[in-house]
Amino acid sequence: MMKKKKYRSIEQLKSRYGYGFTALWVIGFILFFGFPVIQSILYSFSTVNLSADGVNTNFVGLKNYQYLFKEHPDYTGWLTGDLSTILYSLPIILLVSLVLSLLLNQKFKGRIFFRAVYFVPVIIASGAVITLMFQTTSEELTGAGVSTAITSSMFSIEDVVGWLNIPDKIAQILKDIINNIFDLLWSCGVQTVLFIAGLQSIPATLYEASKVEGATKWEEFWFITFPSLGSVTLLVAVYTMVDIFTDTRNTVVNKAYTMINSGRFDETSAMLWAYFALVGIIMGAILFIYNRFLLKRWQ
Amino acid sequence: MTIADIKNMFTDPTKDILRKKKALNRSASLAWYVLRIIILLAIGYIIIYPLFYMIATSLRSRQSYYDSARVWIPSSVTIDFNYSEAWKFIKYPEGLANTVILEIIAGLIEVVTCSIVAYGFARFKFKLKPLFTAGLFLTILVPEIMVIIPRMVTYSKMDILGIFGLLADLTNGAVDLRPNLIGSPLAFYLPSLFAMGLRSGILIYIYIQFFKGLPYELEEAAWVDGAGPVKTFVSIALPSSSVVFTTVTVFSMIWHWNDTFLASMYVDSNFPLSVHLNRINQTLIAAAYYPHDPETQSFLMAACFLFILPPLIFYMFMQRKFIESIDRVGITG
Repeated sequence: MMKKKKYRSIEQLKSRYGYGFTALWVIGFILFFGFPVIQSILYSFSTVNLSADGVNTNFVGLKNYQYLFKEHPDYTGWLTGDLSTILYSLPIILLVSLVLSLLLNQKFKGRIFFRAVYFVPVIIASGAVITLMFQTTSEELTGAGVSTAITSSMFSIEDVVGWLNIPDKIAQILKDIINNIFDLLWSCGVQTVLFIAGLQSIPATLYEASKVEGATKWEEFWFITFPSLGSVTLLVAVYTMVDIFTDTRNTVVNKAYTMINSGRFDETSAMLWAYFALVGIIMGAILFIYNRFLLKRWQ
Repeated sequence: MTIADIKNMFTDPTKDILRKKKALNRSASLAWYVLRIIILLAIGYIIIYPLFYMIATSLRSRQSYYDSARVWIPSSVTIDFNYSEAWKFIKYPEGLANTVILEIIAGLIEVVTCSIVAYGFARFKFKLKPLFTAGLFLTILVPEIMVIIPRMVTYSKMDILGIFGLLADLTNGAVDLRPNLIGSPLAFYLPSLFAMGLRSGILIYIYIQFFKGLPYELEEAAWVDGAGPVKTFVSIALPSSSVVFTTVTVFSMIWHWNDTFLASMYVDSNFPLSVHLNRINQTLIAAAYYPHDPETQSFLMAACFLFILPPLIFYMFMQRKFIESIDRVGITG
């Protein structure tokens, strides 16, 4: 008589352990993510009344969204404002953090010192401090600070704008960028760290081979570094997007806070989901273009 | 003809060119070095500037507020007045205790549970893994604010799979075991316990990337020797992962320390420090200070400095380890 085996193969055993290790996360995903996501989408299509024995929802279809886009006086204005902030911040943050990580990744004297300095924003730059430092004191900061000092000593933005005949909207964005230079640089901390971690994992043999073949530094960057950073860039882009998206200085998020506290769950959910959908479309488009036209060409 | 001339005749003329090229290379690399230092110093200055500004302003005394010529070294310095006021406004000792109880412990739990989950993702093959991976990316993608409302509703009557709710329905509300978690530390601990805490997705992702890079042979050997996966994880994978633990712990601690969002939603009194700092404008107005007044700036900056001081000290201790760990975590595709 053959002895009944407990497990058929080591693969099967391993797959069981795979479920075992991730079980915690699966429960968490259902309880604290999947369920709330569905619930909050439902809220956005309903009217929600809070009462002593819980939450009563009434399905009303698209009414909340219709209200937001047709009747709400400011919502579309908030949306466009926030979206343009995201659109100009994302490429700048990505580019700056990539350049910084390339600079900090090389071996040179004083590297440790510079890294320690450059990682300071990782420690400080989120939440309350940055809001206080850059918002309530912005006049004071820029009034006495580097931002205007540098820009006004080099050139006056107004002059350049008038001189180049740049349309007002773009000029406004340019001004925003220059005025937000601290803010943008301070948002690059985590991204730089992630990029450095990515750079370190590129095998050194690739660079040695390219050196033998006589590649220039520029070619090295475009044909080795950049394609190898593919998934890291993706992670950083997504992280940055989410980071800017949830920033409390965004008008939509800011208003959502106050509305949650006043208990208007239905309208807040609709407001946030419309915002998230738009950001999601932009994010998807960027990721698609990045994947299709930048990454594929070199792989 | 001297001996030197004869020697010259036989030396390779390319040697000279090579030497010149080498010298050129050296000067080019020196120029590049200097340029890089200048760029790094310039950007570093912009990055560090607000910090210096914060410290300098927090030290200015009442008499020197209007002396705009002296931003950096105030004409007269007070430490005790500005800082004692700031200390009062952000309720420093209580706030600090709350931060530790609510946020820091949640962060530590998250660091541990995320490592377990990530090991499962990185080391085992199973049928539903692609689905789980997609879910993991969704949790990175969809921000906390999108799910906060239903979470608060759930927390106000915490239930596991509707069991207690059913019990309450059956007994017409006589036996309602559903606890209200809003305001209790459990609201922070529970998601962390299930690897679904503050930005857990990214932490899991970093862990996965690192675990994938660990040499598999060692674990294979442990398997052959009869150690189960749990033992392999605890006694082989974990001891060689101090690098990734440093990175993840720093991130998790910092994000939890700075978190105002969850804290202002889940807690209704006994706020952590970050919330007190976030609401300092209202507190200042209540204490008859005008937030945009230059005098008030000193309190604000003193409060900011008090708030960042613990993470800054933490960073000073961790700094070298953290900087080195970044090099070795290795995030790949």
